[in-house]
Amino acid sequence: MKIKNYIIWLVLFLLVIFRYFSTRPIFRDGDLIRVASRVSAEPVQYTNARRLILAGLKIYLPKYPEVGYGDRVVIEGVVAGGQLKKPRLISVEREGGILFRLRQRLIAFYRFVLPEPHASLVAGIVLGSKSQISESFWQSLKNSGAAHVVVASGMNVTFVAGFLIAVLALYLPRKKALIPAVIGIWLYAVLSGFEAPIIRAAAMTTLAFWAQAVGKVSFAWEILLFSALVMLAVKPSWLNDTGFILTYVATSSLMLFSGRIKRLFGFLPKATVFFNEGLITSLAAQIGVAPILFVTFGQFNLFSPLINALILWTVPLIMIIGAIGGIVGLVVPVVGRLILLIVYPLTWWFTMIISI
Amino acid sequence: MKYLFGFLTLLTVLIWLAVFASPSGNLHLVACNVGEGDAILAVFRNFQILVDGGPNSRVLDCLSRHLPFWDREIEVVVLTHPDKDHYGGLIEVFKRYQVDNFLSNGLDAGTLAYEVLEKEVGGKGIREAAAKKGTRVRVGEIYLDILSPEEAKKEAESNDNSLVIDLKYGNFEAVLTGDAPKEILNKISVNVPLDYLKLSHHGSKTGTDAFTLANFMPKLVVISVGKNNYGHPNEEVLKILEEGKIKTLRTDEKGDIEVTSDGKRFWIQK
Repeated sequence: MKIKNYIIWLVLFLLVIFRYFSTRPIFRDGDLIRVASRVSAEPVQYTNARRLILAGLKIYLPKYPEVGYGDRVVIEGVVAGGQLKKPRLISVEREGGILFRLRQRLIAFYRFVLPEPHASLVAGIVLGSKSQISESFWQSLKNSGAAHVVVASGMNVTFVAGFLIAVLALYLPRKKALIPAVIGIWLYAVLSGFEAPIIRAAAMTTLAFWAQAVGKVSFAWEILLFSALVMLAVKPSWLNDTGFILTYVATSSLMLFSGRIKRLFGFLPKATVFFNEGLITSLAAQIGVAPILFVTFGQFNLFSPLINALILWTVPLIMIIGAIGGIVGLVVPVVGRLILLIVYPLTWWFTMIISI
Repeated sequence: MKYLFGFLTLLTVLIWLAVFASPSGNLHLVACNVGEGDAILAVFRNFQILVDGGPNSRVLDCLSRHLPFWDREIEVVVLTHPDKDHYGGLIEVFKRYQVDNFLSNGLDAGTLAYEVLEKEVGGKGIREAAAKKGTRVRVGEIYLDILSPEEAKKEAESNDNSLVIDLKYGNFEAVLTGDAPKEILNKISVNVPLDYLKLSHHGSKTGTDAFTLANFMPKLVVISVGKNNYGHPNEEVLKILEEGKIKTLRTDEKGDIEVTSDGKRFWIQK
């Protein structure tokens, strides 16, 4: 490796440290503050409240009036132990960009056409939206180790990237197809909630495409580390974000183990290829992720790789049919509705498997 | 070719699922398990009536369990009175289902959440009507007769204005009491013995005493209740029910309580 490379890494690393210490909040407990900010991630929903994190503070608001991803809010309250207590919502402005509105309208359409928990499942898989997932469904998702499917996860980006490249390559030479594909991936990242796992996957895909375009040999590990450092330099608070940690551990774990596990499971019949891939992938990811899940959520399901193997094959199908049905539905609701009904057998299978 | 095969497989499974989800030709009366609150769903073929929506979106799960998956239309939603544990879940119901008619006692709660509900009802162009004693609604072969109040009064206690509904299907008769107080219920007269009584106010003693039960002589009592700080259902009320040997089911113990009737007799769905 050349000296220049070392310097780039060092500078990036120092930048993360500098940013970490310079962006720590300056208010103390007991301060009465007013936060004016855009809601940069989807609020977590509880039965009678919703939680958002603004300026590093947890804020619990009542269910109505609604506050969602992309809204501009002004909230007043008292700082206490990382929380903004007695929050008062002073204003909420829904003037989001076109992408935010598209997202909201898609989710509303899914909810109008499909019953729960199927609507939440489709909204979660297509757009990473976990708002309004009912507590009981969320619990069975977590228990079965399938929650990663409905929260914004890197898998979505991988599907989108694969889909875009496949479609664009029909009309453009591969090298030229990369640029619109990258734009598409980032549009999707904003559309699907712009959370750490999505950004991780989008950044890594972008770097990999860039390496392809300039003809560099790319090293997966370098890309992994580089994207992590850039993300932390931009937003140091991700260091405490479970999603951020999980996505990087899962990816590393996949890179380390999936090759080996694939060899180990060489005896599986070819006919069940859908099942095999899901099993191998989730086994490889679980090795790294399981301990973290156990520590943070206190749970671990031994059968989780098996459950994942049974359902993962439905995810790309739900994503494609769900996306097409949703977009068509915004123009011609009746047709979109018919397309979305095709998804029902898949979501039915999915919900049945995880509730066993 | 491969895609066509996959598509046809999905279509076949979809049709089979639809066949299995089709409602029977009987009346199904479901007391939804929505925690501390009320949400009672009546289903007859493709017609649905929802009386109250519980405190939050848990009612959606109940609707999903008891409506066929393709049916996104609810013919009538009734709100007995604008208290949070009765209207809270209706906001999401109005957002997600095509509701044709909204029946209430005409009063509003004066809260931010209720404003959202009114906006949703107004914005969707749902037909609205205020009901009082004497109002009659027919949905398919189900009849709803409003037994109380004579006139909803703003200055009265919210529960005093609660709609009391007499639901009839053939010879089957159920009284849905909302949170109405016993003083009102004890003056109501219906055909006795009554098949089904939704106990008033989550089993509170404000809604039921020995006279109430003597007045209705219910064959089945259903209590819609969840974890709460009010002591619902009330010990004394439970004792009277037990002494009267009246079959009583509670949503916090049994989950959704589904009663089916063919118009002549009724039975509890396991």
